[in-house]
Amino acid sequence: MYQYTDFDRQFVRERAAQFRDQLERNLRGELGEDEFRPLRLQNGWYVQRHAPMLRVAVPYGELSSAQLRQLALIARKFDRGYGHFTTRQNLQYNWIPLPQAADVMDLLAEVDMHGIQTSGNCIRNITSDALAGIAPDEVVDPRPYCEILRQWSTLHPEFAFLPRKFKIAITGASEDRAATLWHDIGLHLVKNTAGDVGFRVFVGGGMGRTPVIASLASEFVPWQQILVYIEAIVRVYNRYGRRDNAYKARIKILVKSEGTSFFDAVNAEFAAILERDTDGAAQLISQHELDRVSASFVLPAGLKPAPTGFAADASNDAPLAFTRWCERNVHAHRLPGYRAVTLSLKRARQAPGDATHGQMEQAAAIAERFSQAELRVTHNQNLLLPWVRESDLFTLWQAARDAGFANPNIGLISDMIACPGGDFCGLANARSIPLAAQITERFADLDEQYDIGDVELHISGCINSCGHHHSGHIGVLGVDKDGAEWYQLTLGGSDGKLANGASVPGKVIGPSFAADEIADAIEAVIAIYRRERHPGERFVDSVRRLGTAPFRAATDEVRHATATATTTATATATATATATAE
Amino acid sequence: MKFIDATQDQWHAAVDKDGTLPTPGAGAARLLTLEQWQAVREHWPHEAQAGVVVPNDVDVESIAPDLPRLALVALQFPKWVDGRAYSQARILRRRLRFGGEVRATGEVLVDMLPLLQRTGFDAVQMRVDQSLESGRRALRFFADHYQGDVHQTQPLYARSAA
Repeated sequence: MYQYTDFDRQFVRERAAQFRDQLERNLRGELGEDEFRPLRLQNGWYVQRHAPMLRVAVPYGELSSAQLRQLALIARKFDRGYGHFTTRQNLQYNWIPLPQAADVMDLLAEVDMHGIQTSGNCIRNITSDALAGIAPDEVVDPRPYCEILRQWSTLHPEFAFLPRKFKIAITGASEDRAATLWHDIGLHLVKNTAGDVGFRVFVGGGMGRTPVIASLASEFVPWQQILVYIEAIVRVYNRYGRRDNAYKARIKILVKSEGTSFFDAVNAEFAAILERDTDGAAQLISQHELDRVSASFVLPAGLKPAPTGFAADASNDAPLAFTRWCERNVHAHRLPGYRAVTLSLKRARQAPGDATHGQMEQAAAIAERFSQAELRVTHNQNLLLPWVRESDLFTLWQAARDAGFANPNIGLISDMIACPGGDFCGLANARSIPLAAQITERFADLDEQYDIGDVELHISGCINSCGHHHSGHIGVLGVDKDGAEWYQLTLGGSDGKLANGASVPGKVIGPSFAADEIADAIEAVIAIYRRERHPGERFVDSVRRLGTAPFRAATDEVRHATATATTTATATATATATATAE
Repeated sequence: MKFIDATQDQWHAAVDKDGTLPTPGAGAARLLTLEQWQAVREHWPHEAQAGVVVPNDVDVESIAPDLPRLALVALQFPKWVDGRAYSQARILRRRLRFGGEVRATGEVLVDMLPLLQRTGFDAVQMRVDQSLESGRRALRFFADHYQGDVHQTQPLYARSAA
């Protein structure tokens, strides 16, 4: 993990002091709500349905046991005892009173954490592959670059008030586990034929009302120049992005409307910085700096490559639950004798991605015992242990099982992505958590889940798409119609992983479903798949082969409230989204 | 950072009277709109002071040839959360090497000051309800930053490496 320097520590404390001053001016009435809002947002503080929400940054998902313990402490002392891990690898609290905000920021600063730029129209927390630095298919470890980008983007004075939020994701592997093409900037670390490291740069992806897949901006930007190239992109966006309509303000709209001239402008700006600016050359990353940051990401001391060859089913008396866990929750590692292990946060009676303070403590202890006191928050809202010895797998499985983390469901239908939805979020049109609970219950039979196989179910409570419904094999979008909750169903979306095919938004299946129909509709979709699939064919591949028609017919059959309205109903997202995310 | 008190300001807007073009005032510094400046720039005396108000959707490169004759460029924040003028200021300073005053006008609030200073503004005309004391304090929270800016052109890492 990155090791904070004295400067990093002082910087976070200075930010906490600045925020305390702003909060106090707000509480004294000197700083009005409208003017405090963008300031608190850029420190991670939203105002939600019941109370403020705090989004804590977990830079590119890396978390230490000590940090997780502090997060547990904050949950216990200031919240109602739990937190929610997000698709952007962050952690959210839902119940902290705003007057205590500055105290919480001080506690976070004690463990090198903060909420800087986790919201607002600025460059957000950089996300990455949860298997960064350990994946066998990795070409270049993205973490040093994530950290360099984190530092560059932190309180960048020119880019704090962009037209809209700005998200960057980086991967260094051949498999894209970070949904990079769904981001404002997606970066792929590559090596050219000479062996030099650089970035393939994609710009203009995004979800929301208008799902767009990012376009290739440059085939190869040498790593030394990447900050300059990103500065050029963000400056063009800051100057020309639309500010008259929040729904058209993301960079994806600018890229779409300007096409080639957008890329020409970026390339011209890139050249101008390097050739004309007095400080152009100063923006290049030096080998010295890359080496300094990379030193934080060497193999943890105490790791010893060991003979590999672990096989869960080698011993006939291994419990089925353990072999299944090895199949779904244990992942290959670049280091012989080691594995990465996912602690599932998808289980009955808890919202996807939620963890209580007790569970956070347990996960911290498990990471200390089995994974060099390090965890990762995954894009799929689980926790991952990056440094597990194969010889420890069985003992780890027992510990994870005892703590409730060993549900062997990674990649299965119950391992769904879901936003907090209308139960918490002030923007949501519909609730996500009750639907997630219904699906978990209906597919509680693990044998059935294994038979169904890989299904990525993504649920968003509104068009802001925090639950990434566009990229799910099955996507569910909450919409509001006449004050009631409705759910739009999409099929065949892809986040860009090889097995899912090129990134693409799913296709809408008929008019929206009533709240008491949507779980039936999902069951009907799965039933069609099980009836129509070819041997060995994954769900998403069947959907692509069959097209939407059979699924449309099957889901229409489960309608009752909307049965008579299917020909005329128009509960579409466009008519109903009423608020933009902060 | 210079805090402008509008009542004491030496710069005065040049008001068009019946369509007549502004002229250099005796002893007064004229602050022209971009349209006014473009209309008079050919015959504006070189020794007379001129300042220009540049809207935030203007490419500041377009006034590059005029910069040696301008003592002030006033950039605008029609809304304080509209951050376009930060990019304009940075380009004025680091690309076009403008050495005159760069002033922030419009809805300028206390909490913008650290950003304004770092992108090259050296004068601010804050909204009238803003506290000068809070403004001065807002400039003191951070001892240093990661990335370079108009004053400290080297990013932190380049300095620590030296």
